[in-house]
Amino acid sequence: MEKKKTDMKAIVRAYGMIFALILIIVIFGALNPRAFLSSTNFWNITRQMAILCIISLGATLIMSVEEFDLSVGNIASFSGVLSALLAISGVPFFFALVISIILSAVVGFVNGFIVTRFRVMSFIVTLAMGQVIYGITYWLSDGAIVFNGIPESFKVLGTGKFGPVPYLTVLMVVAIIVFQYLMTRTAMGRKLYAIGGNEMASKVAGIKVKTYKTIAFTISGAMAGFAGVLLASRIGSASPTGGDAYMLNSYATIFIGKTLFREGIPNVLGTVVGVALFTILANGLTIMQVPTFVQNIVTGIIIVFAVVFQKMGSGKNE
Amino acid sequence: MKKVLILLICLLSLSGIVFANGSAESGEKTVAICTPYMSSVTTKQDVDILSAEFEAAGINVSVFDSANDLSRLASDIETATISAVDAIVIVSVDPNLVATQIQEAADAGIPIFGVDAGYMDCMQMNATSDNYQMGVQMCEYLFGLMGNEGKFFHITHRPQPSVVQRTLAMVDELPKYPDVEMIAEYHCDVPNQINNAKDIVENILTAYPEKGSFDAIFCAWDEPAIGATQALMEAGRDEVIVVGVDGNEQAVQLINQGTNFKATLAQDFDGMSRLCAQEVIKLLNGEEALSGNQYVPALLITAEA
Repeated sequence: MEKKKTDMKAIVRAYGMIFALILIIVIFGALNPRAFLSSTNFWNITRQMAILCIISLGATLIMSVEEFDLSVGNIASFSGVLSALLAISGVPFFFALVISIILSAVVGFVNGFIVTRFRVMSFIVTLAMGQVIYGITYWLSDGAIVFNGIPESFKVLGTGKFGPVPYLTVLMVVAIIVFQYLMTRTAMGRKLYAIGGNEMASKVAGIKVKTYKTIAFTISGAMAGFAGVLLASRIGSASPTGGDAYMLNSYATIFIGKTLFREGIPNVLGTVVGVALFTILANGLTIMQVPTFVQNIVTGIIIVFAVVFQKMGSGKNE
Repeated sequence: MKKVLILLICLLSLSGIVFANGSAESGEKTVAICTPYMSSVTTKQDVDILSAEFEAAGINVSVFDSANDLSRLASDIETATISAVDAIVIVSVDPNLVATQIQEAADAGIPIFGVDAGYMDCMQMNATSDNYQMGVQMCEYLFGLMGNEGKFFHITHRPQPSVVQRTLAMVDELPKYPDVEMIAEYHCDVPNQINNAKDIVENILTAYPEKGSFDAIFCAWDEPAIGATQALMEAGRDEVIVVGVDGNEQAVQLINQGTNFKATLAQDFDGMSRLCAQEVIKLLNGEEALSGNQYVPALLITAEA
């Protein structure tokens, strides 16, 4: 009996947020099944998840080594503006995309290099780097939204579809698969988790902590850059602050994800559930015509509950 | 060594203050332009015109962009006050959101002007459009286009002083049109307002998938109208009318392309900025300047006009 109770507690602890997500879907589905449970809305939700998900996957890597990258939003804005300007100047979209991702990865690398080589707090370094990137983006865009002369080809990736399936959804699914594989099936993923679990022990075990942390920052920068280009492509313009709001949301989704599967540890599937929760709430509440401020209240309360729940469940509150 | 360093820093800071006051005493005038919305096309346009006008008049300009951060805006105004600038111009922001700092600047004898901002009694002047009247004007146009009947959504951002006036005008006008129904009002977050509006409208279209299930989307400014138009175009919902306000270049392009975006009201930002700059210059030259809210007329832009 006691064992059953403990098992139940462990299940609720590991999958509580998924139950919450299912409950939310059931409630929205019951209230407006025709709109909410339609296939159109399914693809709509996945499309709206994509950009946040791609940024969050990169940030999950950083969190897995117990670091923060607060510049991801600024990198996304930078990358969006840069790619738009390149496209306007006649650079084919593919190259604009690649150049933007590479430069974003360079920013991530610089973050990682400074954090690991000089042993300074990533929180401060990436915050400062975010300011630098914001300044560069502002300078590039002259502080204004870039839109004039953006070719139609630039908008294809952000707005196109394979039948009913948006390209953004496909890209998101590919990114999830790659990251899940990377984190669970490769030596690199295991080493990242080892570093996050105990950095000193990892060093003693011969893991190149500095190198792997720098790689995590570099990948995070690249993913933020990729998301920035997708955002610009989706809306056909690039704002110097367009990606900024994604920073807080991405970490919120990772914190929600930490409550799932691998208790207290950032993990890819948990992050995806966090992103889904965010997006489905916004989608469902908009469909129900609930005012936006209520959406913010509900989302905020869920994040607080998730974190408290995880803390209580892990017994670390004592 | 530490003490020497601290002393040096203190001396450098003091020399900065003396330098700042020295420039004021030397007869050079400085105007601080403060805004949290520099990423908006129209705000940037305002700041550029103001800067050009001041520089042409031989006045130094310091632009403070607080990047959507109101607490930083408050700090910027405090910095401008401490620096004893000759005037402060706030752009596209409700002074009541930083009322303490505005009052402190006024108490320090610094005249405060606004462009497309709100107005407080301690300010000298605010050059703006009559945003309430623009809301009325857009309601008349939109509801007329709908044949004075049908359903619409409203997308707004009430914390922005000009935008909320348009929303309030719409709320006041609505009872005059008994066959027109507002289904819901949505708040569009900034920044990233185009994408946010696009998400909102995609979700609305999920709830209202049939053609003709609603007739229009009234956006209180142009950027959400652009996002709304993109969502409607991608969904093939060409029957839905979108209107905005501001007359920004991207909006005008969409109107001219014959998309869902049917009309916008062009605020005369150039006129507002020039009027404000002209009055600041007058005041700094010892002449009498206009006071209170000064309204600059708006122009309806459609594909035909």
